[in-house]
Amino acid sequence: MPPLAGWTLSITEALEVVEENVPVLNDIMSLLVSDFFIPVLISLFMLGIWLYHPDPAQREYLQRHVMNAAVAIGISTLVVTIINVHPFWPRPFDPALADAVIQQSAFRASDIIFYHTHDPTFPSNGATISFAAATGIWLGHRKAGLFIFFLAFLWSFARFYGGVHFFVDILTGAFIGVLTALLISKVFMPRTEPCPTWALNACRFLYIA
Amino acid sequence: MALDYFLLVFIGSIGVYQIASIPAGLRGLWFFGQPVLQCLFGIAVIVSGFAWFFTDENRNFQHTVEGAQQLGLFLISIIAAYVFTAVLASIIQAKVDFRPEEPVEGKQHEEGIETFKTTTLLGGILTSMKKQRKDRKEVED
Repeated sequence: MPPLAGWTLSITEALEVVEENVPVLNDIMSLLVSDFFIPVLISLFMLGIWLYHPDPAQREYLQRHVMNAAVAIGISTLVVTIINVHPFWPRPFDPALADAVIQQSAFRASDIIFYHTHDPTFPSNGATISFAAATGIWLGHRKAGLFIFFLAFLWSFARFYGGVHFFVDILTGAFIGVLTALLISKVFMPRTEPCPTWALNACRFLYIA
Repeated sequence: MALDYFLLVFIGSIGVYQIASIPAGLRGLWFFGQPVLQCLFGIAVIVSGFAWFFTDENRNFQHTVEGAQQLGLFLISIIAAYVFTAVLASIIQAKVDFRPEEPVEGKQHEEGIETFKTTTLLGGILTSMKKQRKDRKEVED
């Protein structure tokens, strides 16, 4: 059992109360927990940042940060894949979980708003990539970054609410995402110059930057 | 599922290109002459794409589109939407001719999408080719 596993029970029990009284809220959570809704929203938002600025110099500055965020998403996913080689604990709804009360509550919660996914739970891949994207963009554009942080928080909360992850999975995923994005933006990308500039020039040649 | 995801991103990207090209002044990507119309069209396209995809009851189930495949499909889809937008805008603007194409000042590889402030994709490619031919002729002479 992971640390703070008991938090799962209180939140998944709350979901059952919501289901009885405000079922529409669980419909909204079902949308937020989806594998596609928030990731596509974040990616399209990053695409808008890539393009929107009227000043070419400022646009290039933002494009570099979008590129850093995209690389951070890729590298943080790789980190999660490596950690996933060793499964730490089962999903909250998994019958293999030691605590039957938590397992049954989480099973019902994920049944209502999500599905019983089979991949490893620790760390949360969704939290990792969304927080990596938010940090990468935040370093170049504070307001846009905060908006993506908000989306990342919503997605992570929905996954916790739906009994898909333990709180520790989310927290660790967010930590990996933020740390990877900081390292990529502040250390890796500046040191790999002129490669990022070549990539931008190639995009410019193809009329996409 | 993969095709649905591709279409969701494709439709959403078209909307994003239409909206983001307004503040950027990239008129070569515009489908409409008026920014308000352009913005409304962009929002409508994004909302309808998301509404189509997420009103299907079978979205939250164990699907086969995994992380790496999602990333690949996303990249292919945004590029396809970009080409579609740029080519369609070139055709519309050539047909309507509400803004005559102006020559691009710098070289194409230095300008990139900045080219779209004065011309369309097809217009940019044509002027770029003309410029190259002219440069080659001057060297030969």
